[in-house]
Amino acid sequence: MTARQFAVASAADIKWIMNSAALLRRRLRYNDSEARWWGFVRLLTEAIGLPLKTAAVAAASLVRITQSSMPVTVSADPSHSASIVVDLARYESIFLGNLSRARVHETPKRKGRPPRLAAGQQALSSAYRYGVDLGLIQSALARTPAQRLAMLEANSLFLREMRRKAK
Amino acid sequence: MLGGLIAGKVRFIVVGGLAAAAHGSSRVTNDLDICYDALDGGNLVALAKLLARWKAYPRGVETGLPFIMDDRTLRGAPILTLTSAEGDIDVMDRIAGVGPYADVRKHSEKVTALGVSFRVLDLPSLIKAKRAAGRPRDFEHLPELEALLALSKRKSAT
Repeated sequence: MTARQFAVASAADIKWIMNSAALLRRRLRYNDSEARWWGFVRLLTEAIGLPLKTAAVAAASLVRITQSSMPVTVSADPSHSASIVVDLARYESIFLGNLSRARVHETPKRKGRPPRLAAGQQALSSAYRYGVDLGLIQSALARTPAQRLAMLEANSLFLREMRRKAK
Repeated sequence: MLGGLIAGKVRFIVVGGLAAAAHGSSRVTNDLDICYDALDGGNLVALAKLLARWKAYPRGVETGLPFIMDDRTLRGAPILTLTSAEGDIDVMDRIAGVGPYADVRKHSEKVTALGVSFRVLDLPSLIKAKRAAGRPRDFEHLPELEALLALSKRKSAT
């Protein structure tokens, strides 16, 4: 997991995580369980307004609970007049969504300077050099969007069937 | 999936591989990427209900964990990469390089295909989005998309 993926999974800014880790003297390890813990800390500090150290202690108790369909009380006064309650099932759903996004969508970016935007004849020659079949593009442009998407559906079905038969 | 989204009255724009295919890309894609209107609470409820009906679950994570698919989850995680009974679907409240739904809609065009009418992100914005995403797989797609844009401009000029 990269730093960016870690930040996406914990729904926090990477700089905030780094600064908070320094304040808490906590070593940063980019893995799922740490992302879950940091997600709790961010939720309790930014959304609820708990001090960082209090949130870190509360998050440590929350990560120990593996599954709970009932809301969990993080902190309460002795009379229970006021309390902070976390809906763990909700948090886990949002965390799973963010973790999936981090793994599938936020894959590492391409290193180095991006290639310049190509236009006109330059776009065609660079596409040709890259190995793009310009004849295929021209034939696609001769079709209507409906015909192009019908063709995509047919190709996609064919590939799915090939994969199914190969299994 | 497109039919389901339209029947479910979800306000969305098709982005990604399917939009590229509508513009003439020859790449085969199996998933649907959409940008939805996140400012409209009713739209969030409609989309979440549909995804729940399709048994949508985050892709690439351990299966079988409890996952609540509703509008509150969508508010907490506005970009979701999901697998569902209908196929893989990525839902996003904004597109990198283009902006939120309102901006995406401004840069979209109507397409009638596969028996339904829907809006797809236009080719220049699709190129911008791919460049902004910056992943190697996006850059691999750029030469074809830029050639498509050049050829379609040339075609419309003649």
